[in-house]
Amino acid sequence: MTDAAFDVVVVGAGRAGVAAAYKLADEEFDVALVERAKQPGMKNVTGGVLYGSILDDLLPGFPEEAPLERHVVEHNIKLLHGDAEVSIGYRDLELREEPNYTLMLGKFDRWFVDRAVEHGVTFVSETSVQDVTQEDDRAIVHTDRLDGDIVCDAVIGADGVNTTVGRRTGIQRTMRNEDMALSVKKVVDVGRNEIDRRFNLDSDEGAAYIYTGFPEGAPTIGYFIYTFDEYISVGAVGGLETLRWLGDEGYGDSGTPLYGLLEEFMELDTVRPYVQGDAVEEYQGILVPEHSYDTLPDRQDRRVALVGDAAGLVLNKGYTFRGLDYGIKSGLVAAEAAIECEADGNWDAFGRRYDDRLENSYVLQDMKQHRHLPKFLKNERMYDAYPGIATETLRAMYSAETDATGLTWRQAYRAFRRSDAGLLDLVKDGYRGFRSL
Amino acid sequence: MSVQDDLETVNWDVSEDAHITVDNEQCITCEDKPCLHLCPAQCFDYQEDQEGGIYFAYEPCVECGACMVFCANDPDKGAVSWSKAEGGKGVEFDFG
Repeated sequence: MTDAAFDVVVVGAGRAGVAAAYKLADEEFDVALVERAKQPGMKNVTGGVLYGSILDDLLPGFPEEAPLERHVVEHNIKLLHGDAEVSIGYRDLELREEPNYTLMLGKFDRWFVDRAVEHGVTFVSETSVQDVTQEDDRAIVHTDRLDGDIVCDAVIGADGVNTTVGRRTGIQRTMRNEDMALSVKKVVDVGRNEIDRRFNLDSDEGAAYIYTGFPEGAPTIGYFIYTFDEYISVGAVGGLETLRWLGDEGYGDSGTPLYGLLEEFMELDTVRPYVQGDAVEEYQGILVPEHSYDTLPDRQDRRVALVGDAAGLVLNKGYTFRGLDYGIKSGLVAAEAAIECEADGNWDAFGRRYDDRLENSYVLQDMKQHRHLPKFLKNERMYDAYPGIATETLRAMYSAETDATGLTWRQAYRAFRRSDAGLLDLVKDGYRGFRSL
Repeated sequence: MSVQDDLETVNWDVSEDAHITVDNEQCITCEDKPCLHLCPAQCFDYQEDQEGGIYFAYEPCVECGACMVFCANDPDKGAVSWSKAEGGKGVEFDFG
């Protein structure tokens, strides 16, 4: 036995950390949930859809109670090329059967923490974790509070992409530009009725838009639009390595910053009608892990487990981002590992047990299956040649002004021959894409 | 709209202690100065009279961590010393 004040300390009150703490409190664990913000959600930023079935067991019927924004029934992928836009839209009433929602973390995370506290979690706010150390029979979380060391059996590091727990314990390797994407996002006040009209939605229905191909040929740069109840969020995301390259070579002496690209994107003729609004209500910036399964950083050491963004559990699938549900799942898996350790008293096996369980969970299975996707999405042809081929082919089909003649497949072939892509590239990329998706 | 206008929408409870500091000596040999366009809050400003040309202000930081990755973690750069803001201080988002 140890003189632990808590069985488990969870660092960070995002969805991953709260899910872990909630599940452990349900099992009668003494859990502390340590958060550096004054209120839950104040430090948290997302640019994704919550694929919510992951919460069904923990919070049955949560869509009725939780402060969610819109029920996502439509997804759009848009390829930009010059003045043109080629889009694939998918709208499906069957998606109404799935609890997939847009959400604002300011509201959702506060609600989620309140539920966890009701279940017996001890919430410690305004407390920044400085370090985590491990001794023979315990772990210690060092905070910036006076006498702020918290002794416990195990620590769950749910403290986000810049995880203090991961860095201070040395579990996480040093992150470099190629590991990370930067995202900036604006929340724009559009109004509920105007959102319904503009995006062709019914009251609580929501839509997600993913854009790529601007600026032409810049790999990894993409944009998104999500509809909230009365607001929309519009953001840009790009790999740090690409953003450095754009700055070094392409766009003037001091480079084109990501917020500049977002401005330009919002002014595009095809985009402006969607994103015009009364006022920008908030501006945010965040790093997004960009690992593939093969380059994921380590995520455990003995009594410490990293979950969610702290473990790099995010996957850009090209047509959607997964991360919110991966985080929650990894938090739940860490809780299961703790329950196993409590049962046999072998807390030294906590990290390893978490890792084994995570490896067999759908999160890592998913990332494993898509292990080639991150590299595929760094291919410049995806951002230049292929949107161009699609645009030229469709232009030949629909424009009365083009002098193109011949069958559609012949137009497509000509567009392809005019592009910079070679036949071998097309075959290789097609194969890689097929294998990745 | 400039990013400075956008930053007007953000709230901070600014700490008296800087959570990020810059060692300007390291900026002298940094040729590309990625901080000037990669920081989404324009915390880094080019000013000729500063050592290495960089003036840094921690107050408008949105706590993304980009400068830790592109500067602090880069063995050829390393001007930035990075940590999270103290408990209860720093940026405060309403929406997330």
